[in-house]
Amino acid sequence: MSVEPLVVIDELKIDVRLTRANRLPIVDTATFSIDRGEIIGLIGESGSGKTMLCRALVGTLGRRGAYIAGGKLTFDGIDLVAAKGPAWADIRGKRIGYVPQSALAGPNPVMTIGAQLEESILQDKEFSRGNVKARAIELLNIVQIRRPEVVMHQYQHELSGGMKQRVMIACAIAQQPELIVADEPTTGLDVTVQAEIMRLLLDIRSEFKTSIILVSHDLPLVNQICDEIVVMHAGSTVEKISSRDITSANHPYTRALYDSRIDLVEPKGELTTINGQPPTVGNWPVGCRFSERCDFVEDRCRHPQVLPIIPIGANGFSTCLRYNELEK
Amino acid sequence: MNIIEAKDVSVTFESFGHEIKAVDHVDFFLPEGQTVGIVGESGSGKSTFARVLSGLQLPTNGSVTYLGNPIQVGKQTYPGKLRKDVQMVFQDPYGSLNPRMKIVKAIAEAIRQHQDLDKKSAIEAGVRLLESMGISGDDAYKYPRSLSGGQRQRASVARALSAQPRLLIADEPTSAIDQSAQSQLLGLFNNLIKDGLSIVLVSHDLSVIRYLSDYVYVMKDGVFVESGKTEEIFNNPKEEYTKKLIASIPGRKL
Amino acid sequence: MKIKNLFRSYKAWVARPGGIGISSGVMMMAILLLMGILVPLFGNRSDAFVGDPFSRPSLKYPFGLDQLGRDMFSRVFNAVGVDLGVAFLGVTIPFVIGTIIGILLGLARNRYFLSTVGSIIDGINAFPLLIIAIAAITFLGPGLKSVIIILSLTNWARYARIARTKAVVVAQQNYIEAARTLGYPRWRIIRKHLAPNVSAETIAYALSDFILVITVVAGLSFLGLAARPPAAEWGSMIADGRIFLGQAWWLVIFPGLALCWAAISLSFIVEGLFRRDRGV
Repeated sequence: MSVEPLVVIDELKIDVRLTRANRLPIVDTATFSIDRGEIIGLIGESGSGKTMLCRALVGTLGRRGAYIAGGKLTFDGIDLVAAKGPAWADIRGKRIGYVPQSALAGPNPVMTIGAQLEESILQDKEFSRGNVKARAIELLNIVQIRRPEVVMHQYQHELSGGMKQRVMIACAIAQQPELIVADEPTTGLDVTVQAEIMRLLLDIRSEFKTSIILVSHDLPLVNQICDEIVVMHAGSTVEKISSRDITSANHPYTRALYDSRIDLVEPKGELTTINGQPPTVGNWPVGCRFSERCDFVEDRCRHPQVLPIIPIGANGFSTCLRYNELEK
Repeated sequence: MNIIEAKDVSVTFESFGHEIKAVDHVDFFLPEGQTVGIVGESGSGKSTFARVLSGLQLPTNGSVTYLGNPIQVGKQTYPGKLRKDVQMVFQDPYGSLNPRMKIVKAIAEAIRQHQDLDKKSAIEAGVRLLESMGISGDDAYKYPRSLSGGQRQRASVARALSAQPRLLIADEPTSAIDQSAQSQLLGLFNNLIKDGLSIVLVSHDLSVIRYLSDYVYVMKDGVFVESGKTEEIFNNPKEEYTKKLIASIPGRKL
Repeated sequence: MKIKNLFRSYKAWVARPGGIGISSGVMMMAILLLMGILVPLFGNRSDAFVGDPFSRPSLKYPFGLDQLGRDMFSRVFNAVGVDLGVAFLGVTIPFVIGTIIGILLGLARNRYFLSTVGSIIDGINAFPLLIIAIAAITFLGPGLKSVIIILSLTNWARYARIARTKAVVVAQQNYIEAARTLGYPRWRIIRKHLAPNVSAETIAYALSDFILVITVVAGLSFLGLAARPPAAEWGSMIADGRIFLGQAWWLVIFPGLALCWAAISLSFIVEGLFRRDRGV
């Protein structure tokens, strides 16, 4: 018996409305699924569309003038493409939690931490008010904040970056969501704090069987924490691979990302960089969008075409026409 | 010979009646031609210390000597001809360049400060310098806002190099730019090191420190908790804090 | 060939955010200014009595004649120079004074200088411009010259506050520190690096201040405190024609429309610039 994946994304397209006539594709063909209890890393350079994809999962595309222009996005069987306000209200913050980038505002500066937690807890309209405080302290304990009774009364500016993110995670898990969308949650935080927060996310997954989609540009981090890695380039998902197998990836872009890791190079040794820059939104080349930067490119890669999604192994795929010619 | 040395340097700030010791009685030295990394997390004082070395911050205690001579004369630092020898590259690519100046003009201004050239030749020299940093002729005439973070950082390095310094102090140069821009910038630093530039590299990014440095100082709460050759620090850390730091690198034991 | 290229780059410029606002605003203002130049040169004199008082708008006199038989058309457009001119001075002079003082404050270390000048600025800024102007005119006596003097003496404080805050921020930026390590003399750093970045902010404020000052000038004239008859000025024209609004609406509507036109065109420009800066 196979268990249905929690999230299914199939050939998803997300456009941004510029003017009444002009639309710009930001994501064009994203395909992957997330199983229950799985931690998926979503990795890509800036402009790859990974943040927009997160917004689609949390239903906040509209605020940026973006919208789903095609494809399928389901959560536990519910169609999120067609979902409107009331449907989202039952999902966002309750079944799908969101942890924003640490560099952004974080907790509301004019509310105490306790007040914000209470707000997240009371999203469940049936939660008894008497238990709110206890639940808030419980959440702060889960995210490993010391002296939660003190923190309850503090404001955002009194906390360190790491603590603020823990609070954001606490708010995100208040309703015991089945999926947490974490968009670069530790970017900009100290590496020791990052390690602790990642451990926290792993603990949450173990205890609550929550699925987590972790967006990052940090390949070593994603490799360490995630079960599966989805690689995005110029608006499309080009590969999905298990983190165990990352050294023999099936797409030249993934290989290039791996090879350009600084931590694996000899000190002062030859650094590999990926040629060129990722194509900017609106300037995507036809055919394979990595063709202009690829070391394995052939003529056929450049032909205008929709690249096939070639299944590899149990869960993975690649969109490279030459995937089986890459050295193992 | 040590190109720069710091002895018993402290920097104390006053804030709302509290005294904050950003840097607490540290000693430091850098042999000429080498690269030293100062690694630490936020609040460690490494940026403040970097600014003391570059003369932008006066220490409350202790002294810094450059090629054996104290850098501070009265309230000034690096007087006269010495000033050009020590340049700095900063973390934030967005704030490092004057937003109202085309970058070639900014470079040309720096060139003219230290070489006797007329405006036209300075601009030509600026274009050449930028090209050697991987910034094309067209991009040279743009304003900073039209360039990427990586390009801005390289333009900042170009500006620093216009003074033909012997020592470059880089404060988190790679922290605000993306992966590929980081690699490009590090490759650039590598070449500069081969040409004999001494570098003080301040960063919280351990992989960057490991890649470029010959010697590493680990900083926490204003003091150097450990220092040693790069290999030693990374493979055989002795202090608790250093061990914790190394263990936090993704890919090491979690 | 060149014209085609110019046209193309203009089109591209307009297509960017805010482009429509800026170009419509500029065009509207240009029309107004053009009329403000041509009509006084070639039209009737604004103080000449050319016909029967209260004549309705006609082909000969498109804006009609006022209560003394003067040509409203030429009066309205003669007022362009007065209203916009006074407002311009009332913005430029405070802008210059305020930006300079603000920069000095931002860089100063002397505690006495900082607290005295700072208090003066805060004191002035506590009051709305119109109130100060009315109060001060009781001392200086009415007249357009008084208005310019008052604005120069007080409006600079708003610019100074903006300039000072921005100067403090800019002074801490890395490019200023880089200028120091590169050995640039202090004076050049202030002139070439600090000041342009500070004035970017005060210039933006000046543009929206311009709109405010136009209405303040017209408002003061309406109250009889600035322009005196027989000067052609929109505010005083409206004041004079107010009592006749029922019978001779053209005495009030046309100067009013001109005032609105000026303010709206400037608002378009300011909003367009704001949108362009935001990138939306």
